[in-house]
Amino acid sequence: MTAVDSRHDDVRAIEAGAAPTRFARGWHCLGLSSRFADGKPHTVNAFGQKLVVFQSGDGRLNVLDAYCRHMGGDLSQGTVKGNEIACPFHDWRWGGDGRCKSIPYSRRVPLRARTAAWVTMQQDGLLFVWNDPEGNPPPADVTIPLIEGATRDDWTDWVWSETIVNTNCREVVDNVVDMAHFFYVHYSFPTYFKNIFEGQTATQIMKGMGRPDARPPAKSGEPQLLGNTSVASYHGPSFMIDDLTYHYEGMDIKSVLINAHYPIDANSFVLHSGIIVQRTDALPGEAADAMARKMGDFILRGFDQDIQIWKNKTRIDNPLLCEEDGPVYQLRRWYEQFYVDVADVTPEMVERFEYELDTTRPVEAWRKEVEENLARRAAESRPA
Amino acid sequence: MTVRQDNRLLDAPMVPVGCRQCGARVQVRKSSWQQTSVQWDTEAMDTCLERRAGPDDGRFIACEALRETIAQAALDGHVPVPDDHYGPVTTVPETP
Repeated sequence: MTAVDSRHDDVRAIEAGAAPTRFARGWHCLGLSSRFADGKPHTVNAFGQKLVVFQSGDGRLNVLDAYCRHMGGDLSQGTVKGNEIACPFHDWRWGGDGRCKSIPYSRRVPLRARTAAWVTMQQDGLLFVWNDPEGNPPPADVTIPLIEGATRDDWTDWVWSETIVNTNCREVVDNVVDMAHFFYVHYSFPTYFKNIFEGQTATQIMKGMGRPDARPPAKSGEPQLLGNTSVASYHGPSFMIDDLTYHYEGMDIKSVLINAHYPIDANSFVLHSGIIVQRTDALPGEAADAMARKMGDFILRGFDQDIQIWKNKTRIDNPLLCEEDGPVYQLRRWYEQFYVDVADVTPEMVERFEYELDTTRPVEAWRKEVEENLARRAAESRPA
Repeated sequence: MTVRQDNRLLDAPMVPVGCRQCGARVQVRKSSWQQTSVQWDTEAMDTCLERRAGPDDGRFIACEALRETIAQAALDGHVPVPDDHYGPVTTVPETP
């Protein structure tokens, strides 16, 4: 039974607040590098701006502000010429370092012919950009860990998808602590759940059993799915790596899920999902590819359900939580570090916080021990 | 964007616990026998032997000595545990 205290009978007001006007400091994944490596300029709307992504002749992927500093032409409608992107308006040539290299009809490039260039990083087949409202380069210790399977032959290629979501990106980050939605959205039955926030990482560990009511019984000859273990960390504000293992009778299937996003503006973002699956003797070649595609479809279905919620819900800065909810406020305190200047990051934003739920612990045994302890104490405190 | 206070902490705040192994002091709260929250500070991080030996990539799961300390503190009544899982938070009676 849920108790209601009539002394606190006022209507609870939702405080929606405004979405932040600045964008998070950190590495943001723009997707598969191969998508951009075709010698053509690509338009990317991110961080409230229009960007151009292009591969220069030297093979590098570059990210610049899309608007030419000359007369405002859109470089993402231009042409790659050698190592430069040429503006479609007057053919001004811009290098990946943001400097104007030449103006074909002029003897000299004017002073201050420099545009905004983003620091980029390519690893594991993915393109990242560094965003920092203060304009500083990424510190050496702010990195995205390498994903071992992404470059190995015994793993599948990425199954990748991108979706535009019309709400502030805090909604997707909130999912880190939302234990209950695993049951409702992902048809999983968590038996162990843990969040760890520390420094620039926010981790979610989950062990679950498949829900017998949501899963077809194994066909004869096929192994029965027993459960799964998921260890997922946000490395910075937007890139989550999830080591997800499915436990079957007699074998494990290992996969890596990526859940990443970058903001388009304060009220929309691009949501990415990526999957790779390890090939094994039990799951060789094409079977692993099929498994990765199947998982990709499953994740997209989950995203679609999330998106249905997000596009109709309100922003809420003061969620009213019950004891069974996860640490929403502590997660947001961690997330806040990416929206303030480095000098304003407080210890509370980065100090370690743990939230653990372990349903496998023997609760009844604990209760019994408590009763015994209390009885013992009562007996001890009685005057002799 | 100021992050607000967790409404649950207003009703039942975290309580200090010192690890029996190394003395690291953390703030602890339990919403049930199965749930535990632990707030560390920099000093506790520097004191904890297992944390100091652990990885720095967000994958240090837990200090086992601290886990045992907290479990015992709950049994001893030093960390309150709501009695009725579905009711309002109440505390285990303190030692007289």
